[in-house]
Amino acid sequence: MINRVFKPILELLPENNRWERIWKLAQVDFQKRYYGNRLGLFWALLNPLFQLGVYYIVFTNVFSVSIPYFALYMFIGLLFWMFFSEATTKSIQTLINYRYLIENIQFNKIDLFLSSTLSSFMGFAFNLAVFFVIALSLGPPVTLNFLYFPLFVVNIFLLALAFGLLLSTLNIYLKDIHHVWDMVTLLGIWLAPVFYSEDLFEKKLGFLMYANPFAGIIINVRKTVLYGQAPDFLLCFYNFAFAILLLVLCNLLFRRFSHKAIEKL
Amino acid sequence: MDTVISLKNISKTFYIREGHHDSIREKVFNLLKGDPPRSIPALKDISLDIKKGENFGIIGRNGSGKSTLLKLIIGAYRPDKGGRITVNGKVIRLALGMGFDPELSARDNIYVNGSILGLTFRQIGKKFDDIIGFAELEKFVDTQLKFYSSGMVSRLAFAVALHTEADIFLMDEFFGGVGDEGFKEKSEKVFQQSFVEGRTILYVSHQLDTIQEYCDRVLLLNMGEAVALGSPKEVLNQYKQFFH
Repeated sequence: MINRVFKPILELLPENNRWERIWKLAQVDFQKRYYGNRLGLFWALLNPLFQLGVYYIVFTNVFSVSIPYFALYMFIGLLFWMFFSEATTKSIQTLINYRYLIENIQFNKIDLFLSSTLSSFMGFAFNLAVFFVIALSLGPPVTLNFLYFPLFVVNIFLLALAFGLLLSTLNIYLKDIHHVWDMVTLLGIWLAPVFYSEDLFEKKLGFLMYANPFAGIIINVRKTVLYGQAPDFLLCFYNFAFAILLLVLCNLLFRRFSHKAIEKL
Repeated sequence: MDTVISLKNISKTFYIREGHHDSIREKVFNLLKGDPPRSIPALKDISLDIKKGENFGIIGRNGSGKSTLLKLIIGAYRPDKGGRITVNGKVIRLALGMGFDPELSARDNIYVNGSILGLTFRQIGKKFDDIIGFAELEKFVDTQLKFYSSGMVSRLAFAVALHTEADIFLMDEFFGGVGDEGFKEKSEKVFQQSFVEGRTILYVSHQLDTIQEYCDRVLLLNMGEAVALGSPKEVLNQYKQFFH
């Protein structure tokens, strides 16, 4: 399935050793995490749907939240967040997982992070497909503004990559960083409008609009695919600039310190 | 002839804190206490030029810095300040069962390794049958490597390395585990020919007869220092006097 969906895209690109390598590492990683190709996809799809079901029941029945298209509202937020948190958490272990390659062959270590993030992205992409099937059948208006959507997918990918490099570098000196990151990701999802309304977020936590890069991305995603509006361009630009700047900085940091990690493996 | 590996004033010191862990709490404590880590000099001021096509041996006792030297050449470690390493060409290190992921099949491992060594999928596809054929693993192409015997893994590693056109081979105690006599003979024959093909090979081994037979030059390391460098005969004699 992974092969059937992604391979044609790869074949469109000119034959390029580096991208092939990154793709192969990602595909193999996905296969390993989800026990093969076909059954694995089932688990990758079930997990977010199950979480959505639980949260939906709790929030509509216990807290009686009334937001239009609440299931979709929450689903898209959850998907973006789950991708981000899965990809970054996995990056902490990337250098250790690929020790067998690093110690024996010379290559650019950034490729490992690209492929690791891409592997999480594969599950994310299938889940997005499920989201759009439901979204199109449940009926929020489809507009040309849907075309902005890939922009935010790229944005969250860059952000996840940047944080992945940062965490992996920190992990060299602070082996317990993953405990901290677990808490940060939990805090992060509640400091963004995923489970509650955006109005409430802007009223109570408006100052976080720019401090939590995830909040801005999810607000713009919903604007374009749920409400059929144009995105908030200033916010969109800010989030992109934030992700790119962070990526450049974290890349420098990683290049400077990554060899230490291998010595300490 | 061209120099493919050039080491200039290479030292490598490891800093170790015994009984400590890299945790946030420990870092705070260490700031307060200022307890310096113990330094272990693994290599001291090594300078060396290795020419294209040379068969170069490195010998020394356990812990003399042989593997550290190879990992520096691979780029996994970085030398201490002041040292410079220049490597021209693709390097692969062959050690027992290394370079492979045990969870993956031979097929996936070949694609991953080949790709990292700079081949495109098309090129790997063309060589795939040759690799499997040379390793004599036709029946186990899609078996996960964790079910392989260590001899089978070594055969695969050797076959991949041969067919991926790496320029520089680092053989880290490799021939010891390459499996049955028939295959050993086959691989040794290939290695004799490869001298003609212009590949550079670094042997790290405790098997002195292998070193004597194949190497043009030998380096003797002791406690991280280069004790002798020269023809196999001279250096091996020195090694024997040194330790016996």
